[in-house]
Amino acid sequence: MKKWITTSGVIAALALGLAGSPASAQGSGTFKYAEQVKLITMDPQKQSGSGVPFLRPAYESLFEKGPDGENVPLLATEYTVDGLDVTIKLREGVSFSNGEPFNAEAAAANINRGVEIGIVEGLKTVESAKAIDEYTLGIKLKEIDPAIITTLCYTGGMMIAPSAMADPALDRNPVGTGPYVHSKDESREGEVQVYVPNPTYWDKDMIGLARYEVWEIPDDTARLNALKTGQIDAGNWLSNPQAAIIDKSPDLKLIRNNGGLNYHVIISDREGTVVPAFADPMVRKAMALAIDRDAFNQAIQFGLAVKSFQPYGKGDWAYDPALEGVYEYNVEKARELMAQSKFPDGFTFDMPSIPIYQPRLEALAGFFNEIGITMNIVPVEPGTLARRSRTTDFPATNLVWNTVTDPKFLALRYIYEDAAYNPFKAKPSEALLALAQEGLTSVETDVRAPIYHKMAAQLADEAFLIFVTNAPILIGVSDDTAENPTVRYRYGEDSINLRGLKAND
Amino acid sequence: MFRLVAQRLLALVPLLFIVSVLAFSFTSLLPSDPVDLILGDTGTQEQHEMLRERMGLNEPLVVRYFQWLGKAVQGDLGTSFFNSVSVTDAVLLRLPVTLSLTAISALIAIVVGIAAGVAAALHPRSWIDRLATVGATFGQAVPNFWFGLILVAVFAVNLRWFPATGFTPISVSPWDWLRSVTLPSLALGLSSSAAIARQVRSAMVGVLQQDYIRAARAQGLSSRRVILRHALTNAMVPVVAVLSFQITVLLGGALIVEQVFAINGLGTLAIAAVRQQDIPMLQGLVLVMVGLVVLVQLATDLLYGLLNPKARPT
Repeated sequence: MKKWITTSGVIAALALGLAGSPASAQGSGTFKYAEQVKLITMDPQKQSGSGVPFLRPAYESLFEKGPDGENVPLLATEYTVDGLDVTIKLREGVSFSNGEPFNAEAAAANINRGVEIGIVEGLKTVESAKAIDEYTLGIKLKEIDPAIITTLCYTGGMMIAPSAMADPALDRNPVGTGPYVHSKDESREGEVQVYVPNPTYWDKDMIGLARYEVWEIPDDTARLNALKTGQIDAGNWLSNPQAAIIDKSPDLKLIRNNGGLNYHVIISDREGTVVPAFADPMVRKAMALAIDRDAFNQAIQFGLAVKSFQPYGKGDWAYDPALEGVYEYNVEKARELMAQSKFPDGFTFDMPSIPIYQPRLEALAGFFNEIGITMNIVPVEPGTLARRSRTTDFPATNLVWNTVTDPKFLALRYIYEDAAYNPFKAKPSEALLALAQEGLTSVETDVRAPIYHKMAAQLADEAFLIFVTNAPILIGVSDDTAENPTVRYRYGEDSINLRGLKAND
Repeated sequence: MFRLVAQRLLALVPLLFIVSVLAFSFTSLLPSDPVDLILGDTGTQEQHEMLRERMGLNEPLVVRYFQWLGKAVQGDLGTSFFNSVSVTDAVLLRLPVTLSLTAISALIAIVVGIAAGVAAALHPRSWIDRLATVGATFGQAVPNFWFGLILVAVFAVNLRWFPATGFTPISVSPWDWLRSVTLPSLALGLSSSAAIARQVRSAMVGVLQQDYIRAARAQGLSSRRVILRHALTNAMVPVVAVLSFQITVLLGGALIVEQVFAINGLGTLAIAAVRQQDIPMLQGLVLVMVGLVVLVQLATDLLYGLLNPKARPT
């Protein structure tokens, strides 16, 4: 019997002995942010989606967005764009957290690495980069690119220490020039990433925290509970019931930050190859008019979005107020257009769906059904919607568009004959093509804005992109965070500007 | 006993082999492509092909399997498709979290289940029995994630007695560890305690009617000694089988409850791996979970032998 007890005891002791892992501390001078996505990589040039809050503490970009979306130098001091040549003067006296100097050689190595890896969409127009002198960076473009400086405000412009580029574990060992450095020992993989002040930071007055933490809490309810109980100071949400609870809670505040996601329907088969009705602009306009965007917003997005008739939202330089209400819900007019079209009896088409879009598509199917159009919702595997949308598998699709993306990408994604989401290779109208080209001729937004206003109007007229709603970037914060004067939300990002950020107390 | 342990551990080898083949085959049948998820919306066909080549996805399935197996037998379960994290390291980091959650849940299930079952058996058809029966029915009917949400709303959000999310390692602070596992363990353990209570009540009622119990009482033994030493020990034999099943249920349930409490255990890792189609991570997790279940069954057999000498191997 004793042997049995001993063996069982050893097994139990072994099991309990496994319990335990590294520590983390809490205290004053800490700010805690919760991310809704899991950390995939801390290598900015391999970043393809969300997760920027994990990068911002350690990495700085050459430029950043100002409060109104303007490009503001950060690691750069000034720039000129002359055709295919971009010249950028760099800030002197900056070093990476590993002690390496930040100079034009380092900046050129970063840009060239980003081009070689090819994941940052905005760097696809770059031929190469080189150091002109110690603090002057030269970038050669393959084609005119008015959005190149905007690209350098985000991951495309984040600077990695050159020696760290060779580290195969760079995605967990970030080395940048940012105000904080990643503390691997205090971080817990999959749970929390901890950052502490960078002793070599070039602007020490802007370090306001003893510790910054980014928590990975993908579950919306768990993240909400963490915010309610003060375990986190802020976190990001999509337009879901939990965000609506924050919006109504007296102790919390929901920040609607610039940027966000525009949900839209794309008529891919706009020449009618598979669904002839889609070639008729009257049918497409009828579809746009049949959508009750207010009801859609209330029912599907909990009233947190706004109705949309163009790719951009209010506050963006490319937004055109004249287009507001251009396809305001009018089912009678939609029916009239259908009656006047060659398809008065309606038609049927297939629409791909992933689980998170299912309620949206069920609502749209109901609206289209009112004008005699039957939309069959076809489930596709999660993660395959973008890929399937680039094929001719479906005559139409539905996606989201980040509203701070430069308008030149509208043409690259939807308009050009070889655009990513033009799988049927529909020829663009001459008007659209001319506007797309004209939009590339200047880097100045006040010059480009009227051109893109015309493009948005032309898109509305052709109606192969049917915009439904704009959901802003939603950041839920505690009362204390809402009242903290040092909290500045980054334009077009779901993150807080860490320069100058102080703890709530 | 040593032979039994050795036999079971040896049997684990072909079982894990079969499981690994199945896990590898099934994950390879998934229709979506992890390369799409990594590259996002903007990846070109050229990048797509380059990345597939680099990740070894263009190799035939059998070749990929044996390459993976060759490393797995040396303890290297591969590297996540999505970052440079080793699958072995990722699993080992989270294993103590899920194990401690499961262990505390099992403790709650056993203590509450046995106490309720014994109380009900000692007072059949009384209000105690009815209360235990209603409690057991409720416990089994209520989903553990829902119960977890209620516990969070009451004890974390309103009363602030416990944290709403997260897990503190016992090495950091035993008190904070206990606070961090209490609510999730209650959410998990109470439904299992209901099943155990039902089984204990049923077994105890039968045992208490046996002649040897009457003989023990006639010899003047105290009621406590009769119940604990004679009745409960014998009643526990069928309960152990339920216990084994319940611990397996707790392991599975922990995967869901971890989400509710944002606990970074194997469940959170598994759900992220499924969403990202991180095939190496999924394979590693399946193997470890199967290994855990087999070890639980082995421990049950040992306990069974401890309680019932006739069941011990010769």
